[in-house]
Amino acid sequence: MITIAGDSIISSLGFTAGENYRAVASGQSGIRPCSAFKGLPEPLVASTIDRERLADSFATLCPRSDGYTMLEQAAILSVAGAAAQAQVDLSGPDVLFILSSTKGNVHLLDENEKGFSPEHLYLWHTARLIAEYFGNPNEPLAVSNACISGACAQIAALRELASGAYSHAVVVGVEMLSKFIILGFQSLKALSPEPCRPFDAARAGLNLGEAAAAIIYSRVAAEAASGVALLRGAIRNDANHISGPSRTGEGSYLALNALLREAAPDDVAFVNAHGTATAYSDSMEAIAITRAGLGAAAVNSLKGYFGHTLGAAGVLESVISARALASETALATHGFKDGEKEHPLNVTDKNIHTQKARCVKMLSGFGGCNAALLFKNIKKE
Amino acid sequence: MPLLVRKYCHIANREVRVNGEAFPVAESDGDGKFLTSLYRSLKIDYPKFFKMDSLSKLGFLASELILRDENPRFAPREDLAVICFNRSASLATDALHQAAIQREDSCYASPSVFVYTLPSIVTGEIAIRNKFFGETSFYVCEERSAQQIFRTVRHAFHDKATRAVLAAWVECGGETLEALMALVDTECQAGIPLEEFLRGANIA
Amino acid sequence: MEELILELKQEIIAVLNLEEVAPTDIADDAPLFGEGLGLDSIDALELIVLMEKNYGIKLKDPAQGREIFKSIRVMAEYIYANRTK
Repeated sequence: MITIAGDSIISSLGFTAGENYRAVASGQSGIRPCSAFKGLPEPLVASTIDRERLADSFATLCPRSDGYTMLEQAAILSVAGAAAQAQVDLSGPDVLFILSSTKGNVHLLDENEKGFSPEHLYLWHTARLIAEYFGNPNEPLAVSNACISGACAQIAALRELASGAYSHAVVVGVEMLSKFIILGFQSLKALSPEPCRPFDAARAGLNLGEAAAAIIYSRVAAEAASGVALLRGAIRNDANHISGPSRTGEGSYLALNALLREAAPDDVAFVNAHGTATAYSDSMEAIAITRAGLGAAAVNSLKGYFGHTLGAAGVLESVISARALASETALATHGFKDGEKEHPLNVTDKNIHTQKARCVKMLSGFGGCNAALLFKNIKKE
Repeated sequence: MPLLVRKYCHIANREVRVNGEAFPVAESDGDGKFLTSLYRSLKIDYPKFFKMDSLSKLGFLASELILRDENPRFAPREDLAVICFNRSASLATDALHQAAIQREDSCYASPSVFVYTLPSIVTGEIAIRNKFFGETSFYVCEERSAQQIFRTVRHAFHDKATRAVLAAWVECGGETLEALMALVDTECQAGIPLEEFLRGANIA
Repeated sequence: MEELILELKQEIIAVLNLEEVAPTDIADDAPLFGEGLGLDSIDALELIVLMEKNYGIKLKDPAQGREIFKSIRVMAEYIYANRTK
């Protein structure tokens, strides 16, 4: 069995997984009006990492900190947090690093950015810097699969560990905002001028977010301190459109179906949806969830706390969902008040106690890709 | 389970080979538009091609070269995964988006360019064209590592639904334009072992 | 108006990469979306950028596009009435 041996989150809501989980469980959101990016044509509401706290925390961890970008610092810091918790030596040959990010250090393309070599633009370079920081000898993997990257990285970890080649996999998802990303999303008219409202009938788009999140997966049973295992994962494509969500939720439905072959829908404590709060994407997920027989399950989205953290989202939201599962809680969907009539779902508007053993994490992204992960509270059986 | 390459193609240095045999490309659009010339040489009608960025065009054309003779063609299938790898992700298109937003006094991001600043869009384009509902993934690595590609493709079969993988190295950045794509099929009887293929022994 | 219609057709063909379409293939009153040119949601967003970049028209609500992009003629009339450059 592949279990979570350590986890960590660096976000607007805190610098450890525990700090982040407590903030979410008490209903705090990290989404605020943001003026850090100059020269935007429209105002931005987003969830951003406190740069000063990040620099200070990293300087404490690593006094020689000037060779790393903010994104690399956040990623390293999150892995260090997870490692301290798991008490695993990451320099061993049986440990594999897997990086998940959609855009990495893309901000370095800006003419005004100076001080880092062009190599930092490459995701394999970022992955290697992180692995090398921890003295790991293996060539790391770098996944860039749009907004499902964080789930793909965990699926890659599951497969690597199941094949027996490694005993531990360090999955780290990271995304920092830049004008590159913000102006792109503004051109897609996808951003909400207010804090987002996932699955609400009055939802008006997504908020972007920054985060680094890490999970150390282990196949050593004694290290299953979290009490949560990753049972399986699946990736499926809509084969429909590169940016428009499928009207039938095809890929998402097929991914859910692949998971549920060995888990009864009745045993699902909650479905943590992608829930970006864009009109079509949320409807698409509602259709897929209903088609997969999960229409009665509690459904939540974490985007109202963290915004959409892109390549980090799959890892960050898995950390929070796994902690919620272990705490027997289906978390509230921040920003949700009234569901839509056309695609009804059992969306959580408050934290709910649950005794069920499993939870599902869903993600969808451009290119028509969709992913689903199935976690289990191993203390339940 | 042996992983055999049933069919492959290689696009590099303005030359195209399918299963080692040269595929003639008539220069129809003049210099610099090699991908358009290849599209016209394939005699297909798919106007969406012209909306793609170079990375997607390259991957799309490689998939067409491999799949054009498949029978049945365009039958929806969930048992085929599309997994691509490259070195520079979508860097060439990233540079186009950056150029559009660099000047604050004339900043017009193009939504259709921005969408292609995700390298994995190429896997979606192939899935859309062929109605492939299976897994689509994209990995970034420094060089075409036979070991990493082999391991990732082999692991893709951990998904019980997956019976074939369209695996490719698709690099499009600066001077480089290269696609090496292979159809790995667990149900084929004869083919080149994937490991051997990736080590380059049989790549023309 | 006829000049603007032709100019608009050329701009749309260029910006939406309609490689195999000529200005004469686009009827002035035919619907731009749905059948015909095969335009999609990204194309609609691209037309919003075109209106802002070339004619200084900023749509407050992208949903307005649905009315404005009904046909080339409707679009040209809207631009004629609202352009700032």
